[in-house]
Order: sequence, then structure tokens, then C-alpha cells
Amino acid sequence: MNRVSLPQVRFDSMNAATLRKTLLPYLLIAPGLLFVALLLIYPLISGVSAGFFFQERLGGERTFVWLDNYRQLLSDDIFVPAFKNTIIYTVAVVVLQYILGLTLALFLNEEFRGRGLFRSLMLVPWIVPTIAGVLSWRFMLSEQFGILNTALIKAGVLSRGIDWLGDPDVALFSVIITAAWKTTPFVAVVMLAALQAIERQMYESAVIDGAGSVQRFVYITLPGIKAVSTIVLLLTTIWTFNQFDVIYLMTKGGPANATQTIPIYTYLNAFSFRRFNYAAAIATVGLLMMLTVVVFIYRRNER
Amino acid sequence: MIAASKTQLRVRKLLVYVALLVLTATLLFPFFWMISTSFKPATDIFSKAPTLIPKDITLEHYRVLWTETQFPVFFRNSTIIALSTTFLTLGVGTFFAYGLSRFQFKGRRSFITLLFLSQMFPLVLLIIPIYLVFIHLELVNTHLSLVLSYGTFALPFSTLMLKSYFDGLPSELEEAALIDGCGPFGTIFRIVLPLSAPGIAAVGAFVFILAWQEFTFALTLTNTNEMRTLPVGISMMVGFRKVLWGQLMAASVMITLPVTVLFVYFQKYFISGMTMGSVKG
Repeated sequence: MNRVSLPQVRFDSMNAATLRKTLLPYLLIAPGLLFVALLLIYPLISGVSAGFFFQERLGGERTFVWLDNYRQLLSDDIFVPAFKNTIIYTVAVVVLQYILGLTLALFLNEEFRGRGLFRSLMLVPWIVPTIAGVLSWRFMLSEQFGILNTALIKAGVLSRGIDWLGDPDVALFSVIITAAWKTTPFVAVVMLAALQAIERQMYESAVIDGAGSVQRFVYITLPGIKAVSTIVLLLTTIWTFNQFDVIYLMTKGGPANATQTIPIYTYLNAFSFRRFNYAAAIATVGLLMMLTVVVFIYRRNER
Repeated sequence: MIAASKTQLRVRKLLVYVALLVLTATLLFPFFWMISTSFKPATDIFSKAPTLIPKDITLEHYRVLWTETQFPVFFRNSTIIALSTTFLTLGVGTFFAYGLSRFQFKGRRSFITLLFLSQMFPLVLLIIPIYLVFIHLELVNTHLSLVLSYGTFALPFSTLMLKSYFDGLPSELEEAALIDGCGPFGTIFRIVLPLSAPGIAAVGAFVFILAWQEFTFALTLTNTNEMRTLPVGISMMVGFRKVLWGQLMAASVMITLPVTVLFVYFQKYFISGMTMGSVKG
């Protein structure tokens, strides 16, 4: 009797244990997954599909219009400059903060006293909340009382102040500088970590072999940071491309659409003009543009 | 030879110092200017020859901010929302991350990829359907709407950070606890959570900072001063004709203060959190 029931009991308890073991992870991730499904996946799908519909007013009847919203984009006098500005803005901010961040990282990679202090201090732009950073820049750039104009006039560079955010010719430039300022510390910290991961020995043996500092930089440093650089460039490109708050708080896309970008124009269409479907189409174009860039960088890196 | 290389080294060091001083000073200037301006009387702020450091220090802007504007209401709203977001995200995210870190199961890899990818979904696209659903559920202009919507960026980010934290913890203790009959949830509550408290606290601080300064959702989902958060409230204090820079800079200092305190305390974790995703790949 015993000999028969023992394996039976064992089999049952093992079954329960395996069941618990297979169910447990799903139980742990269920709330998080549910949240992701409801507040990320559903809005993404619903947002993209909204671009194919037309609705007179909120809660009104939805008619499927296929590509009409997209066709309308082509003849939209604001969308075309917004498209162009988004590319200029993204490229300029990403390149500027990469060069600045890498330069900072290279200096911080040297050994000297006070290195930790410098590393902490340079993080300030990154931790200052966007609204505070933007307001400070707006004050510095203001035409009448801005410190920048005052300093430039005093130095004799300018005879009268520039309206940094009100002049369509320079507004985009001003916004680019502010945005690059904000994320440069992130690039610096990550690139510093990449530099520190390169083995010191490689430099030492290169010096013994008679390599100069330029050669060391080209043949050791650059290949050593290539992988991390790709990821940093990918991340900062996505962030900059999607960035809304800095530009909105600086200029709201003005003056005369000089700083109009795809995220800003999407938002204005949705929440100022209440054209939700048209806004969804604009945002979808942005999403496709970004996916193209990401796939391109990813593919190039694979090779 | 040795002497030459010593001077070379010294020159190199000096160059590094000078370059870093110039770069750091440039990066810090807007921050410095904000603090300096917040303590200046209006006559100095709007003078043609501004001084770097205030000649006369005044607390007038701070007094007006706290007693004559809606600023205390914004501050209260931001605190409630940022704290709620932190606790909600940690509550859901810790189990999510633990499940992804310690178990092999179907779909695990795709869930992790999904969390990575979700960080690049354009906010302005997500916000349209979320706004329409919240209108339908009559959630617009409530604290809950902001806490839920902040989860869209806070949850993926903190889950990934916590997962990498758990990945770094040895699992022997948990296995021993399981063998001793602790049960899976007993193991989590009695072994895992106490062991990973510092990591969880750092991620919590990070989430708090993100929620504290969030602007876009708050701009869209609130429409009265009673519900507005600091970033939106402050942005609406910017006047059209006459801009009260002293008051705005004081508000900027106030919104930066809690973030700075958290940052100084958790700096080591933050730096490893920033580099984690990129360097480890």
C-alpha cells in the first residue's frame, strides 16, 4: 500500500510545486504588464489608428478616411517647416551635446585633485528641473534685461541687443543651445564611464611602442568608446526628436513658426485647435521618422 | 628628460584645470544666475549694469511667492503627486522587476524589450488617447490622472533599473529561504526587500524627481489652479507685459531645492543608474 501511494503523493506535490513555480513569475509581473498594456500599448495603437479617422467634434461620429489626414499634411504650410526644423533641431542638439559631453568626459578622465567635485558640479544642468532651467535661460536671453545682451554690448560685440527668442532668425539657435545645455551632463557621465572601461595597459603599451597622443586617441580611445557612443547617440536622438517641454516653454513654436517642430505642432493641433485625428497623423509621421533613424543606426552598428 | 616630462605633465594638468573651469562655469552659470537674481531687489534686476552677486540681499520675492501667489497650492499638489507616483511605481515595479530578474518563462525577453522600446514612444502621441480616455472616465483635473499617466514613463524606467539591481544580487539567500519553507512571498518580503532597500530607495528618489518636474501631462490633464503642479503653475506665472523675473527665479530655486537634496544624497546611485543602460548595453 505504502509502495503504491508514495510515488502518487510525490507526483502530486511535485505537480503543485511546478505549477506554483510556473505561475509565480506571471503573478509577479501581472500588475505591471496590465499597466503597460492599458497606458502604453493601448494609447500607442489607438493613437496611430486615430490618424486614419475624421471626427467633427469630440464624442461625435468617427468616419474612416484612410490617408486623407496624411494627404492634408503635404499641403500644410506649417507642417513642412516643422518637419525641417525637427531635423535641424535634432541633429544640432545631438551633435552639440555629444561633442561637449565627450570633451568634458575626456578632461574628467585625467587624474587630478578635485575630479569628483567637478564631476558633481557639471551634473547641475541635468538635475535642475526643466521649467527652472528654461526660465533662467529666458531671463538671460531676454532682449532688454538679459545678461547676454548686456555683456555683449559692454564687450563691444553688439551695438544693440538681439531679441534671442523673438527674432525668427535666431530663435531656433537659442532653443538648440538651451536644450543641449540640459542634456550635456548625461552624455558626459556616460562617456566618462566608457573611457574608464578602457584598460590603462593598452595606453601604456602604446606609449612604449612610440605612439603619440593623437595616435592613441584614434587607435585606442575612439574604438574603445564606439559601442557606447552608438547607444548614447541613439538615446539622445530619440529624446531630442520627441522633446516637447523645452521648446514649448521657450517659444511655443514661435515666432512665426521659427521653432515649430513635429511634437509641438502635434500638441497644438490636439489641444489648441482640437483636431485630434490630424494631430495623431502628425505624431505618426514623427514616429515613422524616428523608427527609420533607429533602424538605420542599429543596422549600421550590426555590420 | 625626466625634468622635461615633469613640466610637460604640469602644463597638461594646468590645461585640464583651466578647460574644466571654463566648461563647468559655463554649464553652471544659468543656475548661478537664477539663485543670484532671486535675492536681488527689482531695481537691481532691471538695471543696465547688473552685478554677479547681489549688492543688497532681499527675501521679498520668496515672501511674495509663498504668501501672495498660488505657489503653496502648486507645491502641495506636486508633493502629493510625486510621492504617490513614487509609491505606486515602486509597488508595481519591484514585483515586475523581480519576476523578470529571477524567473525564466515564456515571453520574458519580449517583455524586457517592450519596456526598453516603450521609452521611445512619442509622448505627444500617447497623450491624445490617454486624454480622451480620462475625459470619458471623468478623471481629468484629478491627482489620480497625473499619477496614472506618470506611470507611463516611471514604470518602464524603474522596472529596468530595479531588474538590473536584482540581477546583481546573489540568489543563494533566497534559495536557502525557500528550502527552509519560507514560501515565495515570504522570501520576497523577508529576504529580498530588506536586502535591496538601498537600491529601491534610489530608484524611488529617481522617480520622485521625474514626477516632480513633469510638465506635459500636467499641462494637459489639469485645468484649474487648485490642481496645477509646480512646473505648470510656474510657467503660467510668466506675465505677458511685465515679467516678474525676481519672483520667477525664486520659484525656480524653490522647485530645484528638493531635487538637489535628493540628488546629493543618492548621487552615487544616480550616476550608476544613468550609465547602466548605455554601458552594459
